[in-house]
Amino acid sequence: SGPEEQARNRFQSELEFVQCLANPNYLNFLAQRGVLRERPFINYLKYLLYWKEPEYAKFLKYPHCLHMLELLQYEHFRKELVNAQCAKFIDEQQLLHWQHYSRKRTRLQQALAEQQQPQQQPPPHGNATTK
Amino acid sequence: MATAAEKSTKERLLRALDDLEVLSRELIEMLALSRGQKLPQPGEDTQVRLTHTLDRVSPGQPGSASNLSVRSSGAGAAGAAGQGVPGADGGGAAAGEGSPEMQLLEKEVEKRDSDIQQLQKQLKEAEHILATAVYQAKEKLKSIDKARKGSISSEEIIKYAHRISASNAVCAPLNWVPGDPRRPYPTDLEMRSGMLGHMANLPTNGVNGHLPGDALAAGRLPDVLTPHYPWQSSDVSVGMLPPHHGNDFGLEPPGHNKENEDDVEAMSTDTSSSSSDSD
Repeated sequence: SGPEEQARNRFQSELEFVQCLANPNYLNFLAQRGVLRERPFINYLKYLLYWKEPEYAKFLKYPHCLHMLELLQYEHFRKELVNAQCAKFIDEQQLLHWQHYSRKRTRLQQALAEQQQPQQQPPPHGNATTK
Repeated sequence: MATAAEKSTKERLLRALDDLEVLSRELIEMLALSRGQKLPQPGEDTQVRLTHTLDRVSPGQPGSASNLSVRSSGAGAAGAAGQGVPGADGGGAAAGEGSPEMQLLEKEVEKRDSDIQQLQKQLKEAEHILATAVYQAKEKLKSIDKARKGSISSEEIIKYAHRISASNAVCAPLNWVPGDPRRPYPTDLEMRSGMLGHMANLPTNGVNGHLPGDALAAGRLPDVLTPHYPWQSSDVSVGMLPPHHGNDFGLEPPGHNKENEDDVEAMSTDTSSSSSDSD
């Protein structure tokens, strides 16, 4: 049916688009073309905030986009995105944050491994002394 | 000629008034005196003199001022109305205990006073504590309400957490090194291969046409290279609809009705710019 399929397509395309906002290079691209200054687009960004609701958010594969979407509500942020350096900085920080969890996980695993090692050594000594 | 027993009412009233006048004058004088001196003696003197005055002035008239008995002492006069005057002796004897009794009473009064103040302090404290408790309880209720509104089944959360973690969308793969093309956001390739990217393949002149960010390639990808990335989730989202809205995103400035959401895709009609590259 026409309208339902239209709505589904709209859902799909909005899902894709909102996630594209997680890409700071893409945001820089939009900013340089003046898209972020256009009033209809700004209104559209506000409309896209519905993706924060849990029933919609569960479809997002790249949740970073929600944070970017929130920042994009501010004019100052939109203006800053015109600078390529700004976008690069955001990209770097994003990557570092992305790696933060795996670093933390690695450290945790290392700590766990270290904890378990000393426990294996005492038993042999204990057996030796009972003789 | 009128005898004493046959005095007219008027005369009797006038006499009573005169008596009152004299009495009150003397009383005030004595009080003023005793207040100035502040000795235990005045109490006694006052007592005696007063009763004498009373007796002198109104020897046998019942219902008149003779029934007044005033016990006065140094500073405070505790008036006991309605006490008959037993005689000068009784008055005189009682006068000696006036001030010690008064002191006792004063001590009692002070004690009661401090008790009341203590009570007042405690009540104030209690009120403060209760007010705090009530306030915090209200805040707790508010947060309970809020939490209840936002409650989600744990299974859904776990499913979602698995989804975003397994695809390395929020946590970098453990073997990631610089140079790895994977990113916490959709890359150019992914963007082009999505539905928006394919919309750019339509042979239109920029109404629906250009995928933002891909003016150069104009969306021409060989079909082999269009993997179906799960970020579109078309299978999962069957039945899911976006919130209803009009097509006018230019609506906020009044009267500006031309733009609709399709302009979002049609923003870059010039093809000269280079697309954004992620490193």
